[in-house]
Amino acid sequence: MFDTNQETVRSWTKRQDEKAIKISKVEHIAKNRVIPTDRIVEALELLISPGDRVVLEGNNQKQASFLSASLAEVDPGKVNQLHMIMSSISRPEHLDIFERGVAEKIDFSYAGPQSLRVAQMIEDGMLKMGEIHTYLELYGRLFVDLIPNVVLVAADKADINGNLYTGPNTEETPTIIEAAAFKDGIVIVQVNELVEELPRVDIPGTWVDFIVEAQKPYQLEALFTRDPKHITELQILMGMMAIRGIYEKHNVQSLNHGIGFNTAAIELLLPTYGEQLGLKGKICKNWVLNPHPTLIPAIESGWVESIHCFGGEVGMEQYVAARPDVFFTGRDGSLRSNRTLSQVAGQYATDMFIGSSLQIDQYGNSSTVTSGRLSGFGGAPNMGHDPRGRRHSTPAWLDLVTGDDQLARGRKLVVQMVETHQAGNVPVFVESLDAISVARTANLSTTPVMIYGDDVTHVVTEEGIAYLYKAQSLEERRHALAAIAGVTPIGMKHDTKRTEKLRQDGLVALPEDLGIRRTDAKRTLLAAKSVEDLVEWSGGLYNPPDKFRSCY
Amino acid sequence: MKSAFLFPGQGSQKAGMLHDLPQHTSILKTLLEANEVLNQDVLLWDTEEALQSTVAVQVALLTAEVATARALMSEGATPDMVAGHSVGSFSAAVIAGVLDFKDALLLVKKRGELMESAYPHGYGMGVVLGLNERTLLPIIEEISTSTHPVFLANVNAPDQITIAGKLSAIGDVFELARRKGARKAQFLNVSVPSHCPLLQFVSEALGKALEDISFHEPRIPYAGNRTARALRKANAIREDLALSISNPVRWYDATSVLFELGARLYVEMSPGSVLTELARSAFTDARSLSVSEFGLQTASILIQREKARSV
Repeated sequence: MFDTNQETVRSWTKRQDEKAIKISKVEHIAKNRVIPTDRIVEALELLISPGDRVVLEGNNQKQASFLSASLAEVDPGKVNQLHMIMSSISRPEHLDIFERGVAEKIDFSYAGPQSLRVAQMIEDGMLKMGEIHTYLELYGRLFVDLIPNVVLVAADKADINGNLYTGPNTEETPTIIEAAAFKDGIVIVQVNELVEELPRVDIPGTWVDFIVEAQKPYQLEALFTRDPKHITELQILMGMMAIRGIYEKHNVQSLNHGIGFNTAAIELLLPTYGEQLGLKGKICKNWVLNPHPTLIPAIESGWVESIHCFGGEVGMEQYVAARPDVFFTGRDGSLRSNRTLSQVAGQYATDMFIGSSLQIDQYGNSSTVTSGRLSGFGGAPNMGHDPRGRRHSTPAWLDLVTGDDQLARGRKLVVQMVETHQAGNVPVFVESLDAISVARTANLSTTPVMIYGDDVTHVVTEEGIAYLYKAQSLEERRHALAAIAGVTPIGMKHDTKRTEKLRQDGLVALPEDLGIRRTDAKRTLLAAKSVEDLVEWSGGLYNPPDKFRSCY
Repeated sequence: MKSAFLFPGQGSQKAGMLHDLPQHTSILKTLLEANEVLNQDVLLWDTEEALQSTVAVQVALLTAEVATARALMSEGATPDMVAGHSVGSFSAAVIAGVLDFKDALLLVKKRGELMESAYPHGYGMGVVLGLNERTLLPIIEEISTSTHPVFLANVNAPDQITIAGKLSAIGDVFELARRKGARKAQFLNVSVPSHCPLLQFVSEALGKALEDISFHEPRIPYAGNRTARALRKANAIREDLALSISNPVRWYDATSVLFELGARLYVEMSPGSVLTELARSAFTDARSLSVSEFGLQTASILIQREKARSV
């Protein structure tokens, strides 16, 4: 019904108007959109309203640490009930904001470094849980139903026009800013320094409302550095099996590697074992991953054609800048990363995802959740699933077609690579995932499974490989997994006769089936055995952080 | 980054532990304070013989720990947060500024006396290595009955859990635990089934005693035994001090919370070194050390260096 009493004209510019009012409130503080460092708390109190949706940039590497510390200092009488949206809850003050009553609700993706406190605060009613996302889902929702009022992000440098240089650590900054800048949200950026001229513009100044020079550079973690010294012969054995039984077998050309010593071992085996097999130029050409130092030997020996990165890696700046044919770099020479685009690439455009896990159940569902901790997902599930909307074909994708249906399509390889036991003799293969009880305690609407069993195509352990994509039934899937699950509750169930049949049918391969002798898995096979070796491979361009230097 | 002071509980006592404390004004002053409250030279309490009594053990631990922490603090090596294991939590409360040392001494003495009177024989504690709580708890529940009680006590590490109750029931749990893959299961040399409901009456008596004592708001966070929360209110800490003895100590979680709050240096007060080992294996990205091994001066330098390290 048409309401004839409705005299007022509907405004179509509410967000614009509100933003203009807020910006006028800080006119006396900010000159040329620069907020003085010592007045940031006051400015935040004027720019953020109770109940606002606020994105605080914290991802697993770069942290807007000055802005998060400042937000933790605002007066909860003025700023409260905030709905925080964060890729990663990483720093202590990210949760102090809730303890102090400034914020009340959270939507996030990853909380590894604060996973116990998150779980405790939910239990204590101090934190209202939104949802736990994968990175891409969270970024997606910034443009749908989690459109921010204010975003607090970090950049390396800004110029007088607000243009930003984010350099190797661009990560998700452009995505977060875009969601606010084009929907009348307020964009506040902390920078390490204000300069006359930027090395290059990563984000244009017209997207930025305020700049503040931080007291000290933003926090940056070297998360993707694995010291080859700690790679074990068991991991080398698994790496050899993966190269022969998966990479070579399926002709895997484009891929993502997670963090972990398992995949670091593979990276260091390519120039040695991979070379012996004559695989150079045939597999592992196009990569989506951070600049892993352990990939340096493969790059230097000509294995790698391209790498697109989610973020940077501390110490790899010079090396990357010197290899622009391989990495994506800007005109200034340094790396350009972009987490959103790299996640999309890893989801849709690669042949394979390979990662590790803490627990796997009898059907191959896996989880990194341990009891009492709410660690979230990050990006692994984006890449660790078969995107069913995919249309383009590659040899590896087509190789996973089973059956002869005329409409049959290929499949992404989703590989889980785990030792059957974690440190302390804790079995990885379990009857039921800890995630189930965590979901119950935290009252989550779904169980936090990292990679669903029906997406997993292969599982590699020190015992062998299970080719789960070939299983015709859930029962067969269970038997194939049990055959390689070692002395775990799941592995104890396997029956040797059945395993023989599975080997004949190609559902299970043991090392000997792949022509690998366990005794061949030696550390001498690693192209680099230490961080020093990596530095040498890089011609001195890799500059490892202190904690990875051997004198530490 | 930040430093956490850790205060050990029973099991860490050593004969001569008070005599072995280094020469330091703050330590001397603390010993004198203890003498005054006890009406006796506290140095008589750390002999092999005296330490047969849990009362002496607890009083001597409290004194040694508070003395060590005060000595460090007087050198400018101050903690950003604290946690104490069982009786150690009284020391932690003193150092957090919640409780006066003199009050703590009387409380701990009372706590010891109540515990000593409780279960003269047939009860005790054991430790199981190599099983996590999720696996061990159902075993305990299967064995425990009202006449044959056994409970989960302390979760010191994900795979190091103590249990408390009747000796025979503890033995039964050991047997099943071994069958489920426990690496080791053995009795501890204690006669009191601590940190389980059997000591409910101690909690109640302590709770009453705590009511009469003046508490101050903590200067720094205190990680609680029972809830493993970072406690920032005097009342919450008072409750933890009373209830800890009849509830499991969630040590692994308590120290994990401190890690999440930014602790990258764990320093264990004398005479202990067990908590240092636990922290060392739980937090590979942090440094852990005990004052008894490193000495006051080295510990103090490292704490101040940690403070200067940027985040």
